[in-house]
Amino acid sequence: MGEAPLVMSGATKRFGGFTAVSNLSFQVPEGQIIGFLGPNGAGKSTSLRMALGVMQPDEGSVSLFGAAPDIRNLRRVGFLPEERGLYKKMTARDTITYFARLKGMSGPDARARANELLEMTGLGAFRASRISKLSKGMAQKVQILSTLAHRPDFLILDEPFSGLDPMNQQTLEDLIRAEHKRGATILFSTHVMEHAERLCDGIVMLARGRKVFDGTLDAAYATLGRGARMAVEHGFDLAAALRPKGFEAQRAPDKGPGDSWRVALPRGLGAQDVLRAALETGAPIVGFQPEEARLRDVFVSLVGEAEAAALDVPVAADVVEAA
Amino acid sequence: MRNVYLIFRRDFLGYVKAWGFWLSLAAVPLFIIIGAGFGYFAASSSPVRYYAVVEPGNVISEAIDAEFRRSEARALEEFKSLSGPSEGIQADAASAAQAARKFVAVPAPAATIDELTPYLAGEKKVAGPGGEKPLFAALILSPDGKTLEYWSSDVNVSGLRFSAETAMRDLSRRDALVAAGLSSDFLKTADEASVKVAEFRPRETAEQGAEVTTADRAPAIVAVALAYFLWLMVFSIIQYLLMGTIEERSNKIFDTLLTSVKLPELLAGKLLAVFAVTSTMMLSWGLFAGAGAAFGASQSPALMEMIQPFIAAATDPALIIPALISFMLGYVLYGAIFMALGSLCDTIQEAQTLLSPMMILLMLPMFAIFIAFNDPGSPVIEYASWVPLFTPFLLILRMPSDPPLWEILAQMALMAVTTALIVWGATKVYRAGAVHGAGIGDLMGMIKGAAGMKPKGG
Repeated sequence: MGEAPLVMSGATKRFGGFTAVSNLSFQVPEGQIIGFLGPNGAGKSTSLRMALGVMQPDEGSVSLFGAAPDIRNLRRVGFLPEERGLYKKMTARDTITYFARLKGMSGPDARARANELLEMTGLGAFRASRISKLSKGMAQKVQILSTLAHRPDFLILDEPFSGLDPMNQQTLEDLIRAEHKRGATILFSTHVMEHAERLCDGIVMLARGRKVFDGTLDAAYATLGRGARMAVEHGFDLAAALRPKGFEAQRAPDKGPGDSWRVALPRGLGAQDVLRAALETGAPIVGFQPEEARLRDVFVSLVGEAEAAALDVPVAADVVEAA
Repeated sequence: MRNVYLIFRRDFLGYVKAWGFWLSLAAVPLFIIIGAGFGYFAASSSPVRYYAVVEPGNVISEAIDAEFRRSEARALEEFKSLSGPSEGIQADAASAAQAARKFVAVPAPAATIDELTPYLAGEKKVAGPGGEKPLFAALILSPDGKTLEYWSSDVNVSGLRFSAETAMRDLSRRDALVAAGLSSDFLKTADEASVKVAEFRPRETAEQGAEVTTADRAPAIVAVALAYFLWLMVFSIIQYLLMGTIEERSNKIFDTLLTSVKLPELLAGKLLAVFAVTSTMMLSWGLFAGAGAAFGASQSPALMEMIQPFIAAATDPALIIPALISFMLGYVLYGAIFMALGSLCDTIQEAQTLLSPMMILLMLPMFAIFIAFNDPGSPVIEYASWVPLFTPFLLILRMPSDPPLWEILAQMALMAVTTALIVWGATKVYRAGAVHGAGIGDLMGMIKGAAGMKPKGG
């Protein structure tokens, strides 16, 4: 295992009296895909801008490939900002070439790479089109390609899926996997937990500028108490029936026919055990659903339902955290 | 340097690929060509007009004719002073002046205004050197000889009336003097006996001659031209820098750029690009003017002789070195200001609110340029040249007056220090605007807390 591409140690950023990021410490190990999760306004973009040296932390430190971020080690980084923007009068190919050259590629290499990426993503026919003539989705693709063009060792993607339709989201997921396969380390922020569940080796969760979780997906799920949902005919007291069998049941919001209950699973027992116990008690079961661990539930368990509700606010409505 | 070049190249090509650039580039030569064409067309297409004088003899006719000849002679003298001693050119000019006379006297077709009215109204025509035409004007002397009535259907063309007024004033003066006992010959001699005022200036060596020539005036004229050129350049960059920076701010592109290049590299590349754009424009106009001058010189050696002192003045190190330094520092100084202001604006409308005070600031050196045109050694120029924001323009203007060397060096040093400070401040403002999203409203706060400036929170 090589040097961690990014190490943040106690990084704090304040804007006037407002603390955007507080005492944030985490690292991105080489070769992994790390999800940087949290609702809008949690401090993700500010943290990423500190990681890139665009902003300096008021306290703490940032290490990029073992040194403070500067133009030299930033050449190994590809960055996709949350607020997308390109030169509208430049062509797709010129845009990718330009940003690749700024990252140190030679002119001919950058042009060849731009053509290759455009062909690969189905934009070959639009290489000479101005950005202003492309659809929003196409322009976003061009920006993402500009981030990848110089084959960076470390990709930092700030809300890369926002604004993309489902088909383009899938294309981006494929691109991220391909970059990871190539050997790139990837850190991406998102407030949509499903992307992280599909892609990440590890996650860092942020709420109100503070880290609330840092670890693998399995470790995240392990923070949740496991359980199962069971529906029984109206009026049947499932809690009383299961208590002698060693299970605790609580009423849950009804989602279908009958009364809904959530049954907590003691360590070492599975969903099938509670089902068997209920059948033994003669409970009139009308529905049964083992609980599937979701990152959103992890986040809710860590920060509460009110804070987690912010996850559902679309990015377009974000308060620009970095401003 | 590579990054500076890449930023420069992208911005430069971005500007020159735009239609606006080519329109601006073509505008000045087109304006000159069309303006000159209009002037020539207006002069050559102006019709020859007939006039008639109704008088007992032909005294007034002759006086008006003499006044026309005097005007032509004055124009010829002015041309001679510009074109030099070439006899061929002067002869051509003399015949051209004669041929260009637009008012021609014809015999009066009638003696009263009632009878003349159909001729003035175009219902009847009179014969003349240009064929038959209506009468443009009739000048009728009253029976007592005290009033000359000027009748014409066209009251807007006043050249003939002015010449008639001058001629009548001379006639009255002459009549009064003759009545006082002076002879006509004596009056003629007295008119011709005016003393010519020759202009000289003291020089260090006698070989140079003392008479003032174009070469003596050329440095001041060139200095004014250079100062105006710099002013025009600064004026031209405003829109480029403001628009370019606003576009990038609204495109949210700064974060991407700043993870690839250093902020000073970004600013340097952008300033160089706009400098190259305006230089390309100015150079193109200069080439156009040079080609015009070369063509003129090939047609007239005298014109070449006329241009020579200006070329010598423009290549004099004593003028051109301070001018170049002023150019560079002035450009960077104003360029940094405009770029920083642009980084605070989201829209053109916002930028407009900043443009007004900047325009007022820029008009002040323009007034100084006007003053320097008539009096390069004016104390106003001298004092104002110590204000660093004006020094780039006014130091150039002062150079032909040979200011003390210490003053030149001190003003350059002051200008350099101010430029460095402004670039430093502009970089801070630019970072606040581009990276932290600060707006115009935050400007005062930034200025107040310049030393330990904190960006806008959020």
